[in-house]
Amino acid sequence: MAKLSTEMIHLLGNYGHIGFTFVAAIFIGLGGGIYLDEKFFDGSTSPWFTFIGLAFGVAAGFKSLFDILKTPAAKSKDEDSEG
Amino acid sequence: MEHPILFISIILEKLGLPIPHGPIGNTFLEKLCEPYMTYTWFVMIFLVVVGKLTLSNIEMIPGKGQNFWELAIGGMYDFFNDNMGRELTEKLFPMIATFALYIAVANLIGLIPGFMSPTSSINTTLALTIIVWITHHIIGFRAHGVGYIKHYLGPIPVLIPLMFPIELISNIARLLSLSIRLFGNIMAKETLLGILFMLAGAYFAPLPIMLLGVLVSLVQAMVFVLLTVVYFGQSNEHAH
Repeated sequence: MAKLSTEMIHLLGNYGHIGFTFVAAIFIGLGGGIYLDEKFFDGSTSPWFTFIGLAFGVAAGFKSLFDILKTPAAKSKDEDSEG
Repeated sequence: MEHPILFISIILEKLGLPIPHGPIGNTFLEKLCEPYMTYTWFVMIFLVVVGKLTLSNIEMIPGKGQNFWELAIGGMYDFFNDNMGRELTEKLFPMIATFALYIAVANLIGLIPGFMSPTSSINTTLALTIIVWITHHIIGFRAHGVGYIKHYLGPIPVLIPLMFPIELISNIARLLSLSIRLFGNIMAKETLLGILFMLAGAYFAPLPIMLLGVLVSLVQAMVFVLLTVVYFGQSNEHAH
């Protein structure tokens, strides 16, 4: 029971926030891009930094997915299944 | 969403202190009397008083109270030890264990009528998350010095212009996701309970949600602590 619940917490902690982290990364990228366009360059570069920021945000979202796959919990699970 | 009755707010109002009518107050005193502030103080006082009452005389053969704390603290200690190593656990155990106890009690207290969860306000969760976020960078810089920045440069030097913004964004996303998840779950629980209580409180409609609320409260506290521990461990280990 104790082992099961620890594993459950690990699963919830590591994989329960996939969706939210993904969305947060995209919005931070997009928000940063819009900020650069509108406030920093006063709209002279208007759509460009928004799109670049969006691209970086999406990339960061996927990168955080890969990071989640590489967390210690996932690793130890692999070792368990092999050994 | 407000609970129908918040007893600390009523007591403060009787004492003549200004209670804000919206979620946030205008003046400094009103800000101090916001429900999530007063209930945060309540939770802190609760934890201190309970700790004092149960642990005032520590014995060799533990009684009921001491037994509970030994189980809870010992379990947490082993858990942190497994996940981030002995050295960090020795250093940071008081902070993370306090967070765990505070978040768990703060989440659960909202299930009692007349109380509200301080964690159902984004201010509380964001404050907790900013502390965790800054601490994990401090741990990184203390462990690796300036080389900590290698964590954010990716595997190959050619890819640095590409990887650095991506790593930066995904690091800031931690700040957002950690705070908003705790806030969203607890606020949803509070709002749902409030609405169901208003609609059909006489027919025990909130009862199943209260059961789920206990689960959600404990799970969210555990998840927050687990992620904190994972982040601390990651910033302490070497760059890939």
